[in-house]
Amino acid sequence: MNQSNAPIQIKPKDYKSAIKPVWCPGCGDFAVLNAITKALAFLELPKEDVALISGIGCSSRIAAYTSVYGFHGVHGRALALAAGLKAAREDLTVLVAGGDGDGLSIGGNHFIHACRRNMDMTYIIMDNRVYGMTKGQASPTTAPDWGDSKLTPGGTGIRPFQPAGLALSAGASFIARGFTGDPNGLARMLVAAIEHPGFSFIQVLSPCPTFRPEQMNWKHHVQAFEEETSSDPLLAAQRIQADDGMSTGIIYQEDVPVFQPGNGGAPGDAVRFESEFEI
Amino acid sequence: MNLTQKITSLDTFLAYSIALEEEAADRHDELADMLDVHNNPGVAATFRKLAHYSRLHAQEIRDHSKGRSLPVIAPWDFDWENMEGPETADIGAVNYLMNTAQALQIAMGNEQRAHDFYYQFSQQSQDPEIRAMAGEFAEEEKEHLDLLKMWMDSTDESVDEQVYDPDPAHMPE
Repeated sequence: MNQSNAPIQIKPKDYKSAIKPVWCPGCGDFAVLNAITKALAFLELPKEDVALISGIGCSSRIAAYTSVYGFHGVHGRALALAAGLKAAREDLTVLVAGGDGDGLSIGGNHFIHACRRNMDMTYIIMDNRVYGMTKGQASPTTAPDWGDSKLTPGGTGIRPFQPAGLALSAGASFIARGFTGDPNGLARMLVAAIEHPGFSFIQVLSPCPTFRPEQMNWKHHVQAFEEETSSDPLLAAQRIQADDGMSTGIIYQEDVPVFQPGNGGAPGDAVRFESEFEI
Repeated sequence: MNLTQKITSLDTFLAYSIALEEEAADRHDELADMLDVHNNPGVAATFRKLAHYSRLHAQEIRDHSKGRSLPVIAPWDFDWENMEGPETADIGAVNYLMNTAQALQIAMGNEQRAHDFYYQFSQQSQDPEIRAMAGEFAEEEKEHLDLLKMWMDSTDESVDEQVYDPDPAHMPE
């Protein structure tokens, strides 16, 4: 068994705010909150050095439940906000979180460009394959035959996105899939993602007990990828395509130049930029 | 190789035991928060009480560990049989309308698994110190289990009660 010798000074609960989550009992998003706090405690990151940016939706409430800097942003625009923040404050550890609807539908364009831009941040999509906050509509990751929503009787008939495949084709340099039933494994994955220099993306299978109660059986279907993490996009693509979407692990990781305005990218002097907008 | 063979030092066994109790306490608090937010104060109070007992047990184990240098183990490096510690309640087992008897049933399952964990060490560990300590912890878990059974007997609620919400949230639109 592996044992770390580094003493952990900060407790995970130190990263939680006093606000109690309003998520439904049994929601997978609780485990993501736990995993984030465990990862931050393990890395011993001072709270004031971390920012968590989110969009809109059940899972995007997560920013309020941590004690790090937070911004509960606009629907689908969490990555745009996070990019602006990272451009101005390179020193911050930037985490971005949201749901499959927020990140892959209205935020889809921001997602693919964030992947190729490769700014140093970690993006977590809590994927429950449904819009929960608006009472259960099909999202971009919903199976075509899911017909429980009145808006899509008989299902959408549209093939779902494969978030990992989308991220790979858009140029993400770190791609992983986790599961909320394994919050400790998810925390380890988050540590790796945060430590990765560049844009790291984690699709988290996060069951919705209210609108997709059948997802509570995911714990019987999720399994770890047998293969090691690949830095070969072709191998990673094959793994993603051959998988049923229920395997977990770090699928792809590659060292590519990180985009940071001012560091070989576009000029990024926040003070100068601010002065240009002075009235 | 099972865990009783992998853990060969009392220090590591104690580190595992503290983690087991703390993780269980944190989960009970989390479940209590869920039920608080969903206006089920009775069940929330039950989970809160269970968290308190898990913390007491963790403190007892810490007292046993005084003067020892326990290894610091990252949460994901604990080699539990399942994805979480044996006493940790399944986060998906709760419902916002659940009654106290159903909460106690979950708790009894947690305590039983914790008892089995310690009992296994008390019987199979090669280290006599671990066997003795594990036997003590197993006995304490059995006492918790007996207490929960007593609470269960004293409640007039049923674990078989069907939850009914005349205005359920789970009506997809």
